[in-house]
Amino acid sequence: MPQPRTTNARDLAFVPGTELVFGPQAARRRQVSDTIARVSRGWGFTDIILPSFDDRRTFEGGDAHDADLYRFMDREGRWLVLRADFTLIAAKALAVELRREPRTIRASYEGRVFRFQPSGHGARVEQSQRGLEWVNAPGSTFDAATLCIAGECLSALGLHDAVLVIGHAGFIGAALGEKGRGDRALLEALDHKNPARIHELARRRGLDAARTELLAQLPGLCGGAEVIARARKIAPEPEALGALDELEVLARMLRESGAALNVLYDLGEVRQFSYYSGMMFKVYHHGVGDDLGGGGRYDRLFDRYGLDVPAIGFGFDLARLTEALPRTEVNGAATATFASAGQGAIALRMLLEARTRGEQAILAGEP
Amino acid sequence: MLRMALPTGRILKDAERFLASAGFPPVENLSQTRKLMVPSQCGRLEYLLVKPVDSPLYVEQGVAELGVSGKDVLMELAPDILEPLDLGFARCRMVVAGRPEIRRSLDNTLSPVRVATKYPRVARLHFEKLGVPSVILKLSGSVEIGAVLGLSHYIVDIVETGTTLRENGLVVHEEVAQCSARFVVNRAAFYSHLSEIGAILEAFKSATEKAHV
Repeated sequence: MPQPRTTNARDLAFVPGTELVFGPQAARRRQVSDTIARVSRGWGFTDIILPSFDDRRTFEGGDAHDADLYRFMDREGRWLVLRADFTLIAAKALAVELRREPRTIRASYEGRVFRFQPSGHGARVEQSQRGLEWVNAPGSTFDAATLCIAGECLSALGLHDAVLVIGHAGFIGAALGEKGRGDRALLEALDHKNPARIHELARRRGLDAARTELLAQLPGLCGGAEVIARARKIAPEPEALGALDELEVLARMLRESGAALNVLYDLGEVRQFSYYSGMMFKVYHHGVGDDLGGGGRYDRLFDRYGLDVPAIGFGFDLARLTEALPRTEVNGAATATFASAGQGAIALRMLLEARTRGEQAILAGEP
Repeated sequence: MLRMALPTGRILKDAERFLASAGFPPVENLSQTRKLMVPSQCGRLEYLLVKPVDSPLYVEQGVAELGVSGKDVLMELAPDILEPLDLGFARCRMVVAGRPEIRRSLDNTLSPVRVATKYPRVARLHFEKLGVPSVILKLSGSVEIGAVLGLSHYIVDIVETGTTLRENGLVVHEEVAQCSARFVVNRAAFYSHLSEIGAILEAFKSATEKAHV
């Protein structure tokens, strides 16, 4: 018998922020994942299984900071990065497919992404996601359909009061202007909806009065579809107006198609260092402090692989979705047959018969 | 009813006066009660009395939908929450202070300056921005002693009137930021209770404008 290596409890500790789920919580998680998978299949999506790590260049240009990537070197001296984002690695995989045969692709994925987070905030370095990528999917009908799929996932899970918060990368980009787009402090002030800080930064950067006023009003441009019309009055640039036109069409389409979605528009929504180019959204629920997932349109992402392919997608954070679920029992198998291991072949025969009847078979150890 | 995290200590009296002026007085005196949760008279808010440094965490995690927090604490913790209003009270300055004869502060030299502070993140980022190498010493209180007795070249701390600094023979070398109490909001709560939080924000806005006239 090998000696136990140690009885020190410290050896049983895991790295903070890694994912560890077991028992009823894991069963609920499975139910969440299966529900989203079912809805995705219902809309014609098929699974794509993607590498857990890849060349570091694959993960450039996303919202994961370079310093937060988990990097390691293989035996050939190549720097590799643990998957930090699904859309970026899916784009690379689907680019291979598209070069072979250009077409509309519906792909759904599930797995973990890895990003360093300092401990102490309850933040997680591993996140399980399930989501989908819709490639060669241009225009507002695909935008609206994507929101409908996300909405169907939420209502299938019983999260009827979850809200989809819609913004537009093109609008916020135009509002920020050439100079503002790379200004991290300004982006952060907008992200925190902090008008005092926006004013202060605009003054320091010497922005003109019209731009300052526009930026300071962004945190208040949140509400029903009427905020799109309000935004129109303060955003005269053609690029911004084009984005607002898109959102108008989207809002009308959601209305006319009879989609029963709980949506809000937040035109002050920013995503730092993201690949989004058009409509983008996040999902919130009052039971959980942070978003349950999100997505949007990224029409320029495939440029890096020499392809001009409009695409859209979203991903859900499975842990947060599970947290948001009403606390109901997960249904187990209806009938179960128990047998004791001490009874040997007799026990096994009983269980095999139970399984042919489709029942749950539980082989118990000696008491 | 929405829950609002309020910091006990220095800010609480001002916060209580502000809430009363905005139309949300608590049912009992917050500075005197031993309860940790007290509703407002109107029944729209429930105040949660917490340590100042914990207030943003309660809001970030969604345990409290709303909160009041000093900008100094927000700068140190950098929580992922919304900060839609400067409430204007509990004003102070975050400064770099030290003995008057210390002059080597803001030159970029290779030997690091030693900085004692309750705000290690703020201090580290400030000296990084200046390109000055620093060794940060985290203290929990009476930071001034650090500079007086030569534990550090400088301290990074908040000052209101500057009396404590003066009485200990220290001077302000540089201002890092202006601080005051801020109204903070959880992201998910902001969207889930948009109209109610919008109404509270408007009430708070007009109360701060009244206070400044």
